[in-house]
Amino acid sequence: MSEPLDLPLREQAAAIAAGQLDAGELLDATLARIESRNPAINAVVETFPERSREMLAAAPDGPLHGVPVVIKDEWPLPWRAQRFGAADMLATPEPGESGPYRALRDAGAVIVGVGNMHELGASSTGNISVYGPARNPWNPERCPGGSSSGPAAAVAARLVAGAVGADGIGSIRYPATYCGLTGLKPTFGRSAMAGHHMAGVSTTIVSGPLCADAGDCRLLGSVLFGEKLQAGKVQGLRIGVIENEVSEDVAPPVREACEQAIEDLRAATDGDVRTIELPELPAATLATVLIANSESLGSVTPERLNNLDPELSPLGRGLLKYRLMLPAAATVKSQQMRTMARQRLAEVFEEVDVIAWPTVPAVAPPLEAPLVELPSGTHTADTANVRGGALANLTGIPAISVPVGSAEGLPIGLQLQAAWGRDELLLDAAEALEGANDRRWVEATPPLAAAEQTEA
Amino acid sequence: MEASNSADDFIPAALAAFGVEADEIELAVMRGAHETFWPPILELLALDTSAVAAEPNPDLSQAPRRR
Repeated sequence: MSEPLDLPLREQAAAIAAGQLDAGELLDATLARIESRNPAINAVVETFPERSREMLAAAPDGPLHGVPVVIKDEWPLPWRAQRFGAADMLATPEPGESGPYRALRDAGAVIVGVGNMHELGASSTGNISVYGPARNPWNPERCPGGSSSGPAAAVAARLVAGAVGADGIGSIRYPATYCGLTGLKPTFGRSAMAGHHMAGVSTTIVSGPLCADAGDCRLLGSVLFGEKLQAGKVQGLRIGVIENEVSEDVAPPVREACEQAIEDLRAATDGDVRTIELPELPAATLATVLIANSESLGSVTPERLNNLDPELSPLGRGLLKYRLMLPAAATVKSQQMRTMARQRLAEVFEEVDVIAWPTVPAVAPPLEAPLVELPSGTHTADTANVRGGALANLTGIPAISVPVGSAEGLPIGLQLQAAWGRDELLLDAAEALEGANDRRWVEATPPLAAAEQTEA
Repeated sequence: MEASNSADDFIPAALAAFGVEADEIELAVMRGAHETFWPPILELLALDTSAVAAEPNPDLSQAPRRR
């Protein structure tokens, strides 16, 4: 058997179920690997070996029996309140049984650590956190992506084979692409959400899996969904592409890799590529940002804003205060834009099965200055990334980021989006794409992990 | 009257109206946010969306009801 820690999530689960792998030994090895590799990437901000051993001792015979996983600092655990990557999250966090925790526990999984995240979930980069930034295993001087920075870095560095993130505006898909993983943003409402401090308020946030490939996302996703995500073979896939900035104002290597991947997917499924129109996209992107920010205002008072924890970053403090100034009329119009975008997508998905475009327009930027160079000029990574990430959160549709290439030694991701409830199709399409490129990109190993394998 | 994108006018006035304090670094962050968000917000506000009735309590797990 290969090094058990390097096995895919599903193979770890199968080996444990078959009695070929001891779950206790796997847990110990996982904790040891976190201890050895994590200092370089700061992906896992807390471990709790005794709690993990208790979970293992009580683990039922579920689909993830004995398998170690990491969960984002966005979800409370019975023994630990979430911190949301921040010294001050406005809400008062408390320990508890979140939906993802229950789903993992009931599946027999063992939570071995909490994954770092961008402060307040407020960026696609992951370069600011109360714990210090997580770092990208492909290059520790580059951003791991956010806001699910730690879960992504933990899986990419093979600390664990699967992690649970959350996606309010691309926060699973951005780090998935920066770290060379597959990340699924489920259809709104389909995955476990209970216990999140914004549950019942947010109309954009969902939990979802970050794993090396689509097969593992299918397994971890099934646990989070509470239903088996069936696999199917994709034939005659109708792939929609769009001719605007989201696919054209893109760094040339990213554009080339994504165009090649779309062609590979078309060929692998004997499908076709069709150009679609989404004129609402720019306004829909702004609408997503306005809705997501206004939904977090419920716990804001001027007095509270005057008494923010001084350890909160200046960026976090400034943005929290700026949210108060967003005009109500713009939020109302944003809801109208949401309706328009949903109606347009319903029409589009009668013509195509998936929409494909680059998950983000450039590879992971430097941690110290998260700027990206695009044909239109220099942009902050956030303003560039949100163009492609927001639509799925605004409208509720599922989306997946799949690794499809590399530039500057850093991964490139293609995003596929499908109609409401067609999460399984996205996993099927991602697997077809993996097969089309001989699994080259999902099996690529970052230098951090490769060096240790060579030494071993 | 032309709309103003000037953060120097808007932000101090808004903070004063809400009674919210901000230090120089926070003000710089807010100016940056304003420069990013305010022009497209003005464009959004200028759109005539009177013919669009937002879905009441949309079920985001499903496609919208047919018009």
